[in-house]
Amino acid sequence: MLKKMLALTLALTFVATTVFAIDGGNPRKGKYLFKKNCKSCHSDGAEGGDVTPLSKTQSQWDRMFKKAKHDPKAWEGLSEKDLLDINQFLFDHASDSDQPETCG
Amino acid sequence: MRNLLTLLLAGLLLVPAGAMAAPTLEELQKQIQEMSVEIEDMMDIVEKNETHTAKDRIEWYGDMRTKVDTVHYQDIAWNPGVAVDLNQFGADAMSGAFGNPADPTSPIGAFMGQYPNFAAAFGAGQLPAVGGFSMLGFDLGDKPTKDDLNNDLLYTTRLRLGMKAKVWKNVDFAGRLIMYKNWGDSTGTKVFDSWDAFTMDGTNSGNTSGDFLRVERAYFNWKDIGDSNFYLSIGRRPSTYGPPSQFRENEMRGGTPSGHLVHFNFDGITAGYKLSKLTGVEGQTIRFCYGQGFESQYGNGELYNTNDFATQDTHLGGINLDIMDDGTNFLQLTAFGAINVVDGFKGTFAFPSQLMPLFAPTINQDAQNFPNMNFMVRYQPTTVIGDMLLGGLGYVREQENGVNMFGSFGWTQLRPNGEAGLFGGMGSDNLYQVVDINGELTPVPTNKVVDDSTKDGYSVYVGIQVPSPGGKFGIEYNYGSEFWTPFTQAQDDVIGSKLATRGHAGEAYYIFDINPNMFIKVGGIYYDYEYTGSGSPVGTPQKVEDVLNGTAVSLLPVADTAWDGYTSLTIKF
Repeated sequence: MLKKMLALTLALTFVATTVFAIDGGNPRKGKYLFKKNCKSCHSDGAEGGDVTPLSKTQSQWDRMFKKAKHDPKAWEGLSEKDLLDINQFLFDHASDSDQPETCG
Repeated sequence: MRNLLTLLLAGLLLVPAGAMAAPTLEELQKQIQEMSVEIEDMMDIVEKNETHTAKDRIEWYGDMRTKVDTVHYQDIAWNPGVAVDLNQFGADAMSGAFGNPADPTSPIGAFMGQYPNFAAAFGAGQLPAVGGFSMLGFDLGDKPTKDDLNNDLLYTTRLRLGMKAKVWKNVDFAGRLIMYKNWGDSTGTKVFDSWDAFTMDGTNSGNTSGDFLRVERAYFNWKDIGDSNFYLSIGRRPSTYGPPSQFRENEMRGGTPSGHLVHFNFDGITAGYKLSKLTGVEGQTIRFCYGQGFESQYGNGELYNTNDFATQDTHLGGINLDIMDDGTNFLQLTAFGAINVVDGFKGTFAFPSQLMPLFAPTINQDAQNFPNMNFMVRYQPTTVIGDMLLGGLGYVREQENGVNMFGSFGWTQLRPNGEAGLFGGMGSDNLYQVVDINGELTPVPTNKVVDDSTKDGYSVYVGIQVPSPGGKFGIEYNYGSEFWTPFTQAQDDVIGSKLATRGHAGEAYYIFDINPNMFIKVGGIYYDYEYTGSGSPVGTPQKVEDVLNGTAVSLLPVADTAWDGYTSLTIKF
């Protein structure tokens, strides 16, 4: 049973698209919080490596926040609403989101 | 990798197994063997996905818009004619070059007899230096027929297929294919009754032109060249749907340059520099742009070596500066110039039977047998008519509460060189002079403009969009002056680019967001034209009321006002 569930989970991971979508966060506030709290570790050359909204797809960001796949210490001081806002910002600008159609 | 995974899975199984009834070593080995087989199977699946990903080199996305418009024009008039040098006419008439005015059989006597209002104004010394001569035989002050035109239902479909591809770690490709058609027509041309009925390179993405899938955009971005902040982008440019016109489209910024100045397909080169990495101002980027809008030789039958067209390549160059773009505030400066602008563009249209007796009387005789046929022509400019300068400053604010607002100022300058082609010169008509041909006074073109002075035009464009139940509500307004001449003719509104209007245009709309990938838009645009020739750098803008009153002429039909009510359903995928 365990094996089948594991296999099913892994298989679904490969074919999954949007499982659910974050909603209700404030993306502009999330952008501010992301820059203030996350970029110190997640920029080029820093400890966590460069991370931008384009680093993941929308569903990957949602999974990350839903399952709190992150060092909990780094998220200390951020309220649930703050995390929702950051999640919303990252979701709205994820690699599979609409992007500005400009050059460069 | 597989061994590691196997060990991890085995470990996972061992822990709960130890906490409960202890399985035998044989059972564990059997489980591990079974899992190894399954992992092998899954690796096959992963490899297939990996292979597919490696081969699937283009990422496709797109949208499809189905729209119904109800289109209504008020006071349409058509009084084609030419601008005639009346000073020269008066001098020749007074000198007796046209015969004795008192003799009704002389050229001047017959002419004055045919046009009594004109003769009276001439006798009273009330004629202007240059005046319009109707090609339909109207006398001075004869009012052309005015009529309304109502198209209750006009359906269109616009399909856009976007492409993205990763070329290298700092190089990517982007493109967009577009089909924009009105239902029931895939001829690719329309009868030429306005500049929007002209299928041409710069605007064929924004004017209905059949079921052809055209390449609206295809370019690459080569970024961080030599680890610098420079990037280079070459190809068919993302030069439509630019800011601040994206709100009415319910999409993100759709192009690089100001949509108030440029809404036009261009082929060219952009060299950009991410100033933000130097100045720290978010989104600050400067772009130097170059393009070619007209090729004067290739494709024009040059090998016959008999063309005497006075054309040269039309080059465009300028800068686009995103002064700031922080997600809330966006400030943009666009400034560019076009050198050696010609009298129109290469393009195709169906020749109007209404123009045939005026320009092709011989063909017109035969064509009487085929009133339902138009021959398709490829138009080609013949004359360099001058240079153009354009500039604009636009500001957009997107607030946390969902309210979006913008204001944009645009300026255009026409710099005629004095030359004129069939449709005229830059911002000025071709000047005709009256000559005596076989006893009949006939206007003949000088191929020089009426007025070769520099002409400035300006425009303002403002709008606001506010969140409303189920979506958002927006209103927009723009005004263009007499000589306002932007490159926005690829705006896909069916009456024509509202931002090119020489006069007033207002729009109100409601967008219902059904889900993140579907929306319905209901709205209307009202156009109040003050001057003729909206969107065209060729010819003298005439006051619409003068054309309606019969004191000015216009080769193409003129409308006083028009409105377009629309409903559209857009799906994104």
